[in-house]
Amino acid sequence: MPNEGRSPYLPIPMHVLHAYYESTDNSLKTLELSFDDPQDAREFFAAFNPGQFCLLSVIGKGESALGVASAAWEGDFVRFTAQKLGSVTTALHALKPGDPIGMRGPLGNGFPLEEWKGKNLVIIGGGCAFSTLYALTKHLHHPSNRGDYGKLTVIYGTRTSGLCMYKQDIAAWHQRDDMEVHQAIDVPEQDWLHHVGYVPDVVKEVRPSPVNSVAVVCGPPIMTKFTLPALVELGFPPETIFTSLEKRMKCGVGKCGRCNLGPKYICKDGPVFSLAELNALPADL
Amino acid sequence: MNLILKKDHLKHLLNAWRQDYEVYAPQSLQNFTHFLPLQDGFELAFDKAHNTRIPPKALFLPTSEALLKFTRFGGYEEVPSETAPRLIFGIHPCDAHAMTMLDTVFEQERYTDPLWKARREATVVVGLGCDEPCKTGFCTTVGSGPFNHAGLDAILTDLGEIFLVEILTDKGEYLFTQLETASEDQSMQASEVQQAAKASMPIAFETEGLKQKLDQNFASPYWEEVSRSCLGCGVCTFLCPTCFCFDIVDEAQRGERVRNWDTCMFRTYSLEASGHNPRPSRVERTRQRLSHKYSYWLDQINQIGCTGCGRCVRYCPVGLDIRAMLRKAHQLPSEVLHA
Repeated sequence: MPNEGRSPYLPIPMHVLHAYYESTDNSLKTLELSFDDPQDAREFFAAFNPGQFCLLSVIGKGESALGVASAAWEGDFVRFTAQKLGSVTTALHALKPGDPIGMRGPLGNGFPLEEWKGKNLVIIGGGCAFSTLYALTKHLHHPSNRGDYGKLTVIYGTRTSGLCMYKQDIAAWHQRDDMEVHQAIDVPEQDWLHHVGYVPDVVKEVRPSPVNSVAVVCGPPIMTKFTLPALVELGFPPETIFTSLEKRMKCGVGKCGRCNLGPKYICKDGPVFSLAELNALPADL
Repeated sequence: MNLILKKDHLKHLLNAWRQDYEVYAPQSLQNFTHFLPLQDGFELAFDKAHNTRIPPKALFLPTSEALLKFTRFGGYEEVPSETAPRLIFGIHPCDAHAMTMLDTVFEQERYTDPLWKARREATVVVGLGCDEPCKTGFCTTVGSGPFNHAGLDAILTDLGEIFLVEILTDKGEYLFTQLETASEDQSMQASEVQQAAKASMPIAFETEGLKQKLDQNFASPYWEEVSRSCLGCGVCTFLCPTCFCFDIVDEAQRGERVRNWDTCMFRTYSLEASGHNPRPSRVERTRQRLSHKYSYWLDQINQIGCTGCGRCVRYCPVGLDIRAMLRKAHQLPSEVLHA
């Protein structure tokens, strides 16, 4: 969203609409935020594209970059899921409905949805990085979008079943006849009916077809590292494999310097890159 | 058109400018020269062979400045931009050139930094060319020069009793309306001084093909060798006129969100919340510093991101010399196969 005179460091005033734990161990919490000013909502959704992120501000604590986990059609709110790690995400976890919060965004490029029209989509996620893929899947589910894309396959792995996010929705996805869902956990659990194993191995087992397809991979670095070659091995050309990157960020608008990958800034030029683009950049991740 | 400024008239002119501008010029403070606002009875500190220790980028991107002020009940407001007219006098061409590079960062089409932009627009920059270039400088090697015009509204050449003033922009022309025109001889003399200054500077290292060497040797042991004596103090980046990295932190007690200069030479700069760090040691951090300046800037704006001011050479506490590091880089093999 171009700032047009407005400071790119000035957060949009928001407040917490809903806050609830996403994982059984309470390490992941989802916040749904609504806009204090309806004009901000209009501007946000006019610019928003799944795959983008925002910087959430807890005044007095700082900012944290989080991927948007909702689709525009869901309503005038923006969803995020935060893992409790540092001081800002700890403060985010303490927020209650009605609390004020600042948000800067949407930032970054998001998924190239126009380019993907007419193609089959293979969506592969691991852990809490699934949030933007959830936004993507939700976006595709809208009746006015679904027809633009072919077959939809989702592969989602977490360490344990308790860490799986958006459980109700994902359970409902299994019943849909317009998509294929493969869930996985790392180690066996009682009553688990889906895959057991690491995501790259599940990808090899599911063997999605590279014909007229694109694959999107978001997960922890170790998962991405082994999933990208697995897709190449299945015959996906590097131009059809996409991933969303993360690095420490402060400004989110290509100025503070720290999220560079060679000459590219993950915040401004990414976070979504194709494997072909990444192959041309230094391995500084 | 060139003008003549008599040296004994300089103080008078600076005082006249003080009516309309806050005038910054190099002055001595605690063993170093700094760009400080002129007060009554000021003394200029023009040591020709030295740049100020802190580059004048600090007048546009202060070492620490508030971005937001916190208000009651979790609210916040924007800090207004500074628009009071300012004049910087006596800036050397390397520092002025560097600011035009920073403009490409802070005044990008999509996200303009209002604080930077307002200060740039409100400031007139009068340069002083280097007729005796400093020994640590290497501006001519990296596409700048002791009389480079980039980023300046006017530039002065020292001709002994007088300065020859070359007007470079409308903003600059407005400053020097009262001066007499230079003769052809004086202009010629200035041009000779400028040529001689340029000619006196040896080429410090080969830049042709340097970017490719750095790119292709990303995984080379070279980086370990050249970073071995680095203490990681970050002074090379802190005093660099083209470095612009900053951190943003909430100062809760002051009630402000503040940006502070930061450096890629620090471990915490790239340390992620998970504990992962893409640049865990000085090896990767040195690689980032050199590659940013001599490779990534070239990709971004097709200019080397260094103007050869020489501060990183002069102030490094262990005598690491970027010129020697880059000469060594040029000896690296051209094609390296990565595992």
